Amino acid sequence: MKKTTGHKVRLGIFISLGFALFIAGIYFIGQKQQLFGNTFHVNGIFKDISGLQVGNNVRFSGINVGIVESIQQISDSTVKIDMLIDERSRKFMKKNSKAIIGSDGLMGNKIVLIVPATIGKKALVDNDTIETFRAVSMDDILIKVKVTSDNAATITADLSAIIGSIREGKGTIGKLFMDSTFAQTLDQTLVNIKQGAGGFKQNMNAASHNVLLRGFFKKKINPKEKR
Amino acid sequence: MVIKKIVGPSERLYLSALKGFFEEVAQLTLFTLRFFKQALQPPYEFNELLKQSYLIGYKSLPLIAITGCIMGLVLTIQSRPTLAEFGAESWLPAMVAVSIIREIGPVITALIFAGKVGSGIGAELASMKVSEQIDAMEVSGINPFKYIVVTRVVSATFMLPVLVVMADAIALYGAYIGVNLKGEVSFHLFFLQVFEKLTFTDVFPAIIKTFFFGFAIALISCYKGYNSNKGTEGVGVAANSAVVYGSLAVFILDMAAVQISSLFS
Repeated sequence: MKKTTGHKVRLGIFISLGFALFIAGIYFIGQKQQLFGNTFHVNGIFKDISGLQVGNNVRFSGINVGIVESIQQISDSTVKIDMLIDERSRKFMKKNSKAIIGSDGLMGNKIVLIVPATIGKKALVDNDTIETFRAVSMDDILIKVKVTSDNAATITADLSAIIGSIREGKGTIGKLFMDSTFAQTLDQTLVNIKQGAGGFKQNMNAASHNVLLRGFFKKKINPKEKR
Repeated sequence: MVIKKIVGPSERLYLSALKGFFEEVAQLTLFTLRFFKQALQPPYEFNELLKQSYLIGYKSLPLIAITGCIMGLVLTIQSRPTLAEFGAESWLPAMVAVSIIREIGPVITALIFAGKVGSGIGAELASMKVSEQIDAMEVSGINPFKYIVVTRVVSATFMLPVLVVMADAIALYGAYIGVNLKGEVSFHLFFLQVFEKLTFTDVFPAIIKTFFFGFAIALISCYKGYNSNKGTEGVGVAANSAVVYGSLAVFILDMAAVQISSLFS
């Protein structure tokens, strides 16, 4: 009899412990999904929710304060998201707070980020609709990268054509680099210019000592000396 | 023609195997229907039910606990290098928790349960059959099916989920030890990371399917034991086939459960 009672007690403890563990697990999961605390609803209307799903987290100032409760397409270009937010965060969430869809890390789930607004505005009330804006998505970045790479391709094609022309000796720069006759002529021209400049200097020196032109040169020098 | 007769089994052999399979399916179905009929009809054998629950549930706890702890520890140690390659070691608690709760915990526990409890039931019932104890019960006015089969099947159906919950909890503790072997994560942080990624769709289907696992293991074991023959040799055969078919049933039910739960998730 004693043995049977002992067995029953042990069995009772065993089942109670298993049941308690199960209930505790359910409680913690439910608490994470805002099932047991006081909550309020906030809506946001987005053009693109980037794969956000029901149950994804809502963050405010980097803290998980709620979950996405429902997602509803209301027109061909707008999606309404209903969020369940912890009541304790309500006093910090102002009317002009903004919602944005972000990502939890590089590979993580999508989340709704509520950006804190300026102090002084009234706190959000139940079923308020908050302003939303679209974050720069990976697609946007890829589109810009594509435009940039297209431009780079055009520029390199042009550059290649220019270098090709230079190599073939076409145009002034091409002739300068590739035509040896042009280079010799240019070299000779520079020698001639140098000689011409030397001759001109001698002529001017001679002219300054000339009787007829001495007065003109003196007048030209005197104003500088007077100053 | 002669070679064909020696090497390949004859058509008659295939037919008899097929016939045997269908006979077995029919007998198991009738056995199941008899179980439901007897289980719902009073009188109920509560004392025997509690005794069997104690033997099947409580007495299996040490084995399940050791297996669960090792399961969590090994899974964590094995998963770490792969996650470390991607720099995602912080995901280890969540990943291990989802694996244990959804799949590994229920299936491994059910297989251990089939090995310990299934073979025990098969051998016990077969030896009772061989030693004509079942016939003696009938003669003395006790319904042996109700007393032996119903109590064991009901106990196993309700004890396996409790064991799975405990095995999951112990496996998560094993995972915590595993995480701390090559790192330092506080129990509180580990606990938060575990529940961060768990949802009701992970927990409920996993627990619901264990009721079916327990039911199938006990029913097959009782069927094999209750219908054993061939004397003492039959005891070994019943124990062996109870484990084999019980384990097979666990995998088949698990496959069905995954398909059904994926339809609703």
